[in-house]
Parts: sequence; structure tokens; C-alpha cells
Amino acid sequence: MKSPFAYQPRPGPLQSASPGAAVAYLGAIVAVAFLYSSPVVLVAAGVAAILAGLLAGARRAVRVALKMGLALALLIVVVNALVVSRGETVLARLGGWPLLGQVDITFEAIVAGLSGGLRAAVAMVAAAVYSACVDPDRVLRLLRPLAGRSALTATLVSRMVPVAAADAARLRDASRLRGPGAAPVGKAPLARRLLAGSLDRAVDVAATLELRGYSLDATRARNRRARSRYDRRFYAVAGIVLVAAIAGKALGADDFQTYPEVEVGLGPATLALSALVALSGLAPLKRRATRRTTADGTKTALPNRKSSRWQEMAGRRGVARV
Amino acid sequence: MSELAIRRGAAPALAVEGLGYSYPHAAHAALEDVSLEVAPGEFVLLAGRSASGKSTLLKAACGLVPHFHGGEIEGEVRVGALDAIATGPGELAAAVGYLAQDPETQVVSTTVAAEIELPLELRGDEPGDRARAVEEVALALAIPHLLERTVDTLSGGELQRVALAAALVTRPRLILLDEPTSQLDPVAGDELIWLLRRLNEEWGVAVLLAEHRLERCLAAADRVVAMEGGRISFDGAPADFLAWAQDADPALETPAARLFSLAGIEPLPVGVRDARQTLRRPGISHPPRQASRRVRDPRPTDPASTPVLSARGIWVELDRGEDLRDVLKGIDLTIGPGERVALMGRNGAGKSTLLRTAAGLHEPVAGKLEVGSVALLTQTPGDYLVRERVGDELPGDEGLAALRVVGLEHALDADPRDLSGGERQRLAVAIALAGRMEGDQLPGLVALDEPTRGMDRARKDDLVDLIARLAGQGALVADGSTNSTHDAAVVVATHDVEFAAAFAARVVLLGDGVVIADGPAEEILSGGWYFATEVARVLDLPGVVTPEQGAAALGETR
Repeated sequence: MKSPFAYQPRPGPLQSASPGAAVAYLGAIVAVAFLYSSPVVLVAAGVAAILAGLLAGARRAVRVALKMGLALALLIVVVNALVVSRGETVLARLGGWPLLGQVDITFEAIVAGLSGGLRAAVAMVAAAVYSACVDPDRVLRLLRPLAGRSALTATLVSRMVPVAAADAARLRDASRLRGPGAAPVGKAPLARRLLAGSLDRAVDVAATLELRGYSLDATRARNRRARSRYDRRFYAVAGIVLVAAIAGKALGADDFQTYPEVEVGLGPATLALSALVALSGLAPLKRRATRRTTADGTKTALPNRKSSRWQEMAGRRGVARV
Repeated sequence: MSELAIRRGAAPALAVEGLGYSYPHAAHAALEDVSLEVAPGEFVLLAGRSASGKSTLLKAACGLVPHFHGGEIEGEVRVGALDAIATGPGELAAAVGYLAQDPETQVVSTTVAAEIELPLELRGDEPGDRARAVEEVALALAIPHLLERTVDTLSGGELQRVALAAALVTRPRLILLDEPTSQLDPVAGDELIWLLRRLNEEWGVAVLLAEHRLERCLAAADRVVAMEGGRISFDGAPADFLAWAQDADPALETPAARLFSLAGIEPLPVGVRDARQTLRRPGISHPPRQASRRVRDPRPTDPASTPVLSARGIWVELDRGEDLRDVLKGIDLTIGPGERVALMGRNGAGKSTLLRTAAGLHEPVAGKLEVGSVALLTQTPGDYLVRERVGDELPGDEGLAALRVVGLEHALDADPRDLSGGERQRLAVAIALAGRMEGDQLPGLVALDEPTRGMDRARKDDLVDLIARLAGQGALVADGSTNSTHDAAVVVATHDVEFAAAFAARVVLLGDGVVIADGPAEEILSGGWYFATEVARVLDLPGVVTPEQGAAALGETR
């Protein structure tokens, strides 16, 4: 089974964008999550990451990352609630625990944990969208002139990991298919076998690289600048979000306090920044072409699904709309 | 003067002189005193049994031997103007391309376009030159539609083409191929051979192809080189090779050649077209189509016999990455005790899924499946071998009984890695059988998934014997409660039509998750183009699929 986070080529703006633009855009959303503690802004950043993923077609990656991110967030909330006893609103006194000492569950510690958990969830969703939408070969090509060997190692790892996962699945199946009279296969022999198989495969892949000319001491190949008509859009959105985030920070948009009492600021700066960050998730939206240029240079309107439906509805009602 | 003769006058694409080679720590030399020349634009077929030195010779020609594998080498290997022993595989990459058996380990990038471009990038070519070369090779191999795909979404045949494109993108004058069709279905395999012939004819690429299924590529070859024990045992024209193999090594004969030699017809044909032309000659009478015998349905007619597998309208859906996909779509199939069934169909038709469902690895989402104990051997027998002693894999009486069934009871103390490929496969079968047997009687169904990949004819013949032996052993029936015994049924998923003709009494042909044909092997394997044996394609007689049947049919009319 293919990993939900594996790169899948699709004709969307995020996939078409150069790796630099895509990284800048998704990086800006993650930067907001790490700059701010306010749950309002963090939720907005989460909405942006989810929207970006959904519009880019990485629905499965977003769904799985969201599940994992929320599970991690819950873990952080629980651990923070157990470990931190600060805060004035005590919800439960759990008495003395080994290693932890006196454990008091406070509302403030839960909210603080929630803030940290949200931050982790946003980062995970953004990373999942990056992984599913940005071509790793283009990223590595970008890195190759800077660190050729590291880029190649990364290439091999990205290739060998799914291959090793497939090998592991095959070995698991074979162990299930052993007759009940055969010696059972423990985890250790299975792991040894998987390792041996992976080494064999690594040797084969290394041979392939040799044949492709990896050992050649060639001058570094120049690369085409991977440009896309969407690059400017993503760089612009990334720039706006980052500038707004920094300015908002200076203007007190991160008005959030957990201890001794929870205080969530909902001032205009916070709300405006949150709205802007959430809307940045629309950047991968593909705009439909509304005009077609014919060979003689004249521009004609393209029929689109929505207007056709409207016209059809209008026709049924006996009203002519153009 | 033929074009080939003119080309022969030029510097050879490959020249090997007195080559000897031993792998590190090996007891025997892999190559001994090998001398060979491949002319520019020549298509040479490398024949021979497993471990005869074919792969090592190819590796020496592309520089992997000795540069990558180490070992001791003597003699001379020249690729064009380059000394392959002094030069590494990287430098040779511009002059020679190499394609190995397993396409999975021959791709290192995520997308097809990046994979094909990598050799040029590593060579330092300019972006414009790279773009053009990628486009050209993609067009030549008919894969432009794959360029934007990720390699993990490709079928085996597509992946093999991509690996070939990466090997050809530097425009080498020589391409070396090590059993490139062994993991492909007949359609993809034939397409690859056709593609090689086109590259050879239109672009003048010299081809050195090692292959076990000679019937697939003999007609495309200009010359055949046979190897045995690391030495060249024959070097000549395809027709001469067949005459030589008839006496020297019958395991290398093609089915059509065997048909002719059994029927006493000369000369031996190098392919289907050649055979048909010979049969049209005056003095040789081709039997009319209606002269064929009636084919007996091998399915048991005894209504009292309980089937070992009964599937009624089963649907199986699998997660293929993005979405769930129906792989089996309402399969109806009944297999009776003692049957020998070949499950055939192109890659992705659902053969493996059907066997895995029978063995309990997948759960049908709809339909009814009744099956008793199933011993399934998957496509990679090595996956079953995890210990360093045969006796440790199969302890106790149950283990010994399973070893007896496959004829390996003498190898209790051996290390599985020291066994031959065929013995390792038999050991894996024994591991699947152990504990599922009632005394020496087998489970109701023994299933083998693509067991002949990379096998030579001799090993396939051994496997046919093993299957006949397995099918003759008693078994528990589907409703194990009755504890009555019957013969075991053996079901083999395979692409190999010649192998299917040799062992199967019945063939079930799957297409996109549904049964599209089910009947006697002689009928199914003589009624098509791709899923038909070479003899069936030569004679085109219903019910005639093996050389022996063909010779008998020809004999009736003479």
C-alpha cells in the first residue's frame, strides 16, 4: 500500500510551483504556528494548512496527518496536565504520584498543552502537504549543487524506505503462510531477514548508481530554473503572511496568557491576523480560465460549469439570462 | 555485402578475449577463457542454463565485474574503444547500457522524468541537452505518457521500460540485458523484445541479451552464444544453434524446434513464422484444423466429490494507494481434488490476489468462499527462509514429513543459503506444508505464485515433477470435519505458457478480476495469441499445445 504522504503528481498550482515557492508558502504557515501561542491564530494556521492540502488534492495526506496530529496534541495536553501543576483553576487533585509528586490538574495547564499540541498538529499537516505535493526530485536537484552526496543519500533513502516497507509486508505475509508445523518466526529473525534483504537491495541500487555514472567526477550540471506561473503567488502569500505575523507580534496580536489564569485576547489585530492566515490557505486555488484567445487574437468567454447550470436553471424557469 | 557484414568491418561494439573471472572467495571460476565479439548493430542472444556464466559475462562487459564485485580477473574486455577492465562502470555508461532482471532495484528517483535524466545530470550535461535526450528516449520507447508519473505507480513492464530508457538515454552503442522479461507477463515480455529489435534495427544499437525463454527472442537474434560452466559452448547462427542444442543440450531447445525434431522435419525453425513457412513446403502436410482431437474436460464430473476450493461471486478490494480498488470482481470458481490448474492472465489481472484470498491473507468483501487448508508459496520463496539450518526451519515429525514430500529429507543439517535455487524453493514449499498435512497427506490445496521466475528449462522440468508428485498425494477436503482424504489440488499462478502446458490439466484465465476462460489446458492454450504455446501458434490446431502432441498430429497426416 502506498504511503498517504508519498508524493503524487497532480496538475495543481502547489505541485506546479517551484520547490522554493512551495517551501516558502508552507514554511510561512509553520512559522506562524511557531511564532504564536494564541489558540485563535494557531487554529487559523491549521485551517490554512488543511485548506492548502485539500485544494492541492492531498486529501488523504491531510486526513491521516490530522488524525496523527490530533492524537499527538491530545498526548501533549495529557502530559502537560500531569506534569505542570501551575494555574489557579484546579479541576482535580490526584494526590502524590511516583516521580511526578503532587499532581493537580489545572484548566490552565490543559489550555497550555492544547496550544503546544495545536502547534505540533499544524506543523504535521503542513509537512504532510509538503510531502504529498512537492516533487522530492526537484527539491534534491535544488540541493545537489550545495551538497551533492547528502542529496544523493536523501534520494536513496526516499527510494529505499518504501521498498523496505514493501519487503517487510512481504516477509510478514510469508511468516503468516508458514505451516503450523514449521518453526514460528519471531520478530528478531524477521528483522534480521529484512535487514539482510535491504542490504542486498542496497547493493543492487548501488550497482545501478555506478552504471548511471555516479562515480564520475563530472563538473556540476547546471539546472534549469524550475519556474512556474504560480511561483509569484506563493512567494507573495508567504511574504504577506510573514510580514503580517511579525507586525502582529509587535502589535500584540499574540495576546495569550495561560498562567496563572487563561486569558485569550480577541482584539482586532488578533482577529485580522487570524483571518489573513486562514485565507492564505486558499493560495493553491486554481483559477478557472474565463476567456479563450483564438488564433486571430480575439478573446471569447469560456462556458463554465457554473454558468451553464445557471443558464439551464434560468431556461427551466423561462427566464433568459446571459 | 550485407549491412551486417559491413558493420562487422568496423570496431566491434564488444570484444572479449581470453576472459577468466572468479568472484571473491568463490571455489570455482565463474568465467573461463571466454572470447567473444559483438559487431556494431548486431543482436546477440546469450543462452545457457542457470549459473552458466551469462550474468557474469554481462557484468564484465559493463564494468561491474571486477570494479563493483571485486574478485580476480584475467584477459581483455573492450567496449568500443574503452578498456572495460581498466575503466569503471561510470565511464563506460556512455558506451554501454545495462538492464538487470529486477526492475525494482534499477530506479533511484521518485519520478520517471528524473530517473531518466539522472545519468545525464551526473555526467554534467547542459539542461537543454538533457531535456532533448529525455524526450527522444521517451518517444523511442513509447513512454512519454509516463514521464510525470512516480515510479511506485508503474507496473513491472512499465518500470522495465523506464529502466531501459535510463540505460539508453546516454545513447550507448551497446545494450546488455540480463533476463529482462523474466518478471513480465507474455504481453509485456513480447513488447520488450519487439522494442529491442526496433532499437537494434532503427538506431543500430548492438544488443547482447541473456534469456531463458529462447522461443521469445530467438527469431529476433542475428546470432546465439551458448554458455556452459563459464565457457562458451556454441557461437553461431540461430538455426545452427538449434541443431547443436538438439544433441548437446536439449534443455535449450525451443518448443517449435523440439516439435520439428520429434516429427523429423528439417531445418529446425527459429520462430513461429519460420516454422509455418517450412510446414507450407511441398512434401510436408499440415494437418487440417478439424483433424484435431476432442479435448477432455479435466474437471471432475463426480458430483459426490467435495471441492477443495469453492468460490461463488467473490469480490476483493485492495487499497492501491489513493483509493480502494476492486481487484476480484465476482469470481466463480470450483477446484476439485487432484486437479492441476494454471491460473493465468496479464499482470494485475488478479491471479495473486485470488491465491492470497484462498490462503486467508485477504478477506472477500462479498461472495462466498469455501476452502480447506491451503499451503501457499508466494513469489519470493526466500521470504520463508529465516534460519540458518533446514532442521531449525522444520523441527519435529511434521517438519520431517514435509521435507519428505519435497524430497529434501537428506538436507536437515544444510544451511538454506547453500542449497540450489530449486532446492530453496522446495524447502519453502515444505515450510508452507508443515503441520497442514495428515501424516504424509497434503492439505486440500497447494498454491504456487509465479514459481518459474528466472528458472531455466531444467529447473522447470523438476518443478513439473514436483507438482505431479504433490497432486498425487492425499489431502484433507474443504469440510475438514469429514476427515476424508482425496488427492491434493495444485494451483499455480503463472505467465509461462510453456510451463502451464507442461504441468496443467486445466487453465483458468483471468482478465481484470474476472474469469474470462476456464477449461482444459489444451483448449485454452491453443485458442489465442498471447496465452498460447509456441507449438499452438505454429500449428494452430485446437487441443495441440506441446511438441509431443504436435509431433503426433503431424505424424497422423504423414
